[in-house]
Amino acid sequence: MKSTNDDLENLIRRAKDGDEQAMTRLVTIHKALVFTIVLRMTNDYYASQDLTQETFIKVFLNIKKVKNAQHFRPWMCTIARNVARDYFRKSKRRRTISLEEVKNVQGHSNLEMTRRRMIIQDALAKLAERDRMLLTLAYYEGFNLSEVAEVMKMTESNIKISIHRARRRLRKHLEGYEHELLSAG
Amino acid sequence: MNSCPQAEKIIYYCLGALADKAKEDFEIHLKSCELCQHELGVEMAIENELSQEFEPGFVENRIRARLELRQAQDMRSFWLYAFRMAVYGLTAAIIGFVLIPFLLKFPLESVLDLSKYTDGAAELLGKLAPGNAFFVILGFCFIAVFIASMYSLAQIRRL
Repeated sequence: MKSTNDDLENLIRRAKDGDEQAMTRLVTIHKALVFTIVLRMTNDYYASQDLTQETFIKVFLNIKKVKNAQHFRPWMCTIARNVARDYFRKSKRRRTISLEEVKNVQGHSNLEMTRRRMIIQDALAKLAERDRMLLTLAYYEGFNLSEVAEVMKMTESNIKISIHRARRRLRKHLEGYEHELLSAG
Repeated sequence: MNSCPQAEKIIYYCLGALADKAKEDFEIHLKSCELCQHELGVEMAIENELSQEFEPGFVENRIRARLELRQAQDMRSFWLYAFRMAVYGLTAAIIGFVLIPFLLKFPLESVLDLSKYTDGAAELLGKLAPGNAFFVILGFCFIAVFIASMYSLAQIRRL
């Protein structure tokens, strides 16, 4: 973990000096995280590609503000969240992801998996923005609770309760779809 | 949600938030409760989906190109903004110090006779612009333009 942090610190330092290779590396490492956040928030595959780029542009234009590598990921996630919020505010609509888009996202055409993804993605879209963000970060591999707390501006002790509540709300929206959820498992 | 009173614990169980004893008790209950087994299956399916990571494809080059374009635009707008603010300052100075006094046929020299107020400043001004209000006006114009330019630069840096 320490060497990973050192690597990140080194990349951030080089990116601050305008090193393009370091910037590209930072994008490669974090693009899936940013894309996952904006896709979960907007439910729009094509817009999410654009918003991912927009997020990284804002990250690099402001990277000099990053004082500590540990805060880089939460800071970047906050930018992604704000970019997605802006998009959401401007578009003023709740979108349902299409079958074609889901296939694009997951890269295969297993029909049951695709349907399950659509059902859950649709239920997520019905949640409040805060719940969606919370669940996206909480279940993202390698994202720890202190980082989630930093992005959500909550204390670590409140995070688990909030995740539990968000999960219950999500489950409520999924009532009646249990068979589909279990059949693809 | 199922009707089993233990069902409340399922999400905590999935989150790993149950204490050791509670977890053990719940696992014993789980073996004999079909409703909770079913619910756990649903929760695991949800959790599995939530932990999915999506890939945006190869975006690195597009980000670099857009970043370069944005930086070039920012630089251009920086100079345009600075120029605009300088023009505003100059216009304000011309209106304030030249146009209005000219239209009102205002005796500018008498107003700008600072010796009434501060002897030291008047002395200094007298050395710099001996008896000629034109230089004083020019000085004020220059200061206004300078302040406007500095202000616009500070605004741009802050953005």
